[in-house]
Amino acid sequence: MTDHPHAPHEPHGDDLGHGADHGHGHGSPFIAHHYDDAQHQFDSGKLGIWLFLAQEVLFFSALFVAYILYRYHHPEIYSYAHQYLDVKYGAINTAVLIFSSLTAAWAVRCAQLNQKRGLILCLATTIVCACAFLGIKYIEYSHKIHEHILFGRYFDPCVSAGGGELLTRNNNCAGTKSTVVWDFGTGTPTAGCFTEIDQDPRRDGVQADCTVKEYEVSGPEGKTETFKRDITGQCPEESPFGGEATSSAAAGGGKLEPGGKGGESVQAKGGEAAAHGGGKPCWRPAFQPAVCKKGVGILVEYGDNVEREHTRIKAECKAAPKPSDAGDLFADKPQNLELGKAAIHPRHQLTVHEQHELEAAGPPPEHINMFFTIYFAMTGLHGIHVIFGIGVFLWLLIRAIKGQFTPDYFGPVDYAALYWHIVDLIWIFLFPLLYLIH
Amino acid sequence: MSAAAVDSHHAEDAHADPHGDDHHGLAHVAPVKVLLATGGSLLVLTIVTVLATKVDFGANINLALAMAIAVLKATLVVLFFMHLRYDRLFHSVIFVGAILAAALFVGFTLMDTNQYQQTNIWNPDAPPAAPIGPRPTNG
Repeated sequence: MTDHPHAPHEPHGDDLGHGADHGHGHGSPFIAHHYDDAQHQFDSGKLGIWLFLAQEVLFFSALFVAYILYRYHHPEIYSYAHQYLDVKYGAINTAVLIFSSLTAAWAVRCAQLNQKRGLILCLATTIVCACAFLGIKYIEYSHKIHEHILFGRYFDPCVSAGGGELLTRNNNCAGTKSTVVWDFGTGTPTAGCFTEIDQDPRRDGVQADCTVKEYEVSGPEGKTETFKRDITGQCPEESPFGGEATSSAAAGGGKLEPGGKGGESVQAKGGEAAAHGGGKPCWRPAFQPAVCKKGVGILVEYGDNVEREHTRIKAECKAAPKPSDAGDLFADKPQNLELGKAAIHPRHQLTVHEQHELEAAGPPPEHINMFFTIYFAMTGLHGIHVIFGIGVFLWLLIRAIKGQFTPDYFGPVDYAALYWHIVDLIWIFLFPLLYLIH
Repeated sequence: MSAAAVDSHHAEDAHADPHGDDHHGLAHVAPVKVLLATGGSLLVLTIVTVLATKVDFGANINLALAMAIAVLKATLVVLFFMHLRYDRLFHSVIFVGAILAAALFVGFTLMDTNQYQQTNIWNPDAPPAAPIGPRPTNG
């Protein structure tokens, strides 16, 4: 390099734009032509990255506003729904991200001091930590996708916040529920309406607005009892099954109160059936209406995990809003429908521990899905930033291996590290806000 | 770094930051001790905030405690990892300005949020009561 230490303001010549003759005697080939010197270039870049970081703060602040508003108005949702998150994963991810921030800051120091090996090591460690963060996030996300703990209308969890079995709206959870779907088209029970999570009750199939008038149940002892109830509303305080707390005792068909308890109602909302009535099991027709592609159905769920040989349902259904698949089954006026027999085989018996967990958790509040809408929006946007950061650090790693960073040209390392710190910073707030709700 | 560059840099920065003398080359070099102390404190504070959740101080105090620890951690990151303590004052102005703008955003949104928590659906069978008083007359 040419050396003109005492001519910092010498007019630029046609020197290939490297700025090597800008008068500082050690010019990195990456000092751009239009800057006075390395300091000028560095400071310009630094101002730019700080403006970008300010924009990032504002960018994320919109999601924080959504979080704060929703938590302010619905604290019960947060205190219930955060139990779906595993603090262990969140804490490990926090530590991983803090460590990667440390190595990113150290990478800047190495670049400033021209320690090439240290720089490469620090950048590589940062990338490994970022990938580990995403790996843990993958474990968390895949668990949530598997259990249908998702955002918006896709929230249909198979387990309660306490980890217990949960009866769900669409009966999507394989192999654990004692449910049956009644197909009014054939009068027979079908296995279930939904096979895919992305099936939307409002899109395909037929929607039926049905009111169950009467149930006929035969218990294990062979006795047949009939009782009438409205399926909308809440579970009764007193269990119709005679107040026994365990599911086996509740199996006694003879303990059903016939007919006369028509005024009682059962819960038609999502949640743990066993958690109601002081832990006593109750009948719980699932979300109404159920939608089937073949015909119109009522999804009946029994939260007590009791096997039933024969169940008969009488229901009154109103006209379906879009009867494309059911023909003129419910053309206009409400019809009385009687359904055939069905056997209901529970596939999962709650253990005493699980029952206690369900009782302790209590019925879930409404609109828990909003928590996960916010959760996925915030962690998702943060995750995208992490992915982008990995790309930037890979680029830096390649340049560092090529030896392109010198004490007078390490701006990119510094700027990327600043970006990485702001990603860490946002996670520092996300972790207590999402995982550590008391 | 040539003497000219160092001098011009310090001339710009010395008044803005008492730690300008620590600068090496283009910017401040964070000592290893500072980096390790910051990283260690952040990890310790993470453990503290997790443990604090297990103690029941009441929902509000737990939330305030968690947020206080988060703010402390964020401050450590900004001051030492992001070099803001040694950096130009103007960068601090930008960053604090962004946070103030975000606070303004939150504050103004929270100010009248209670006004929108009830949905009033027009019911033709039970219209809202007419305003009390005589109807306005024409002219």
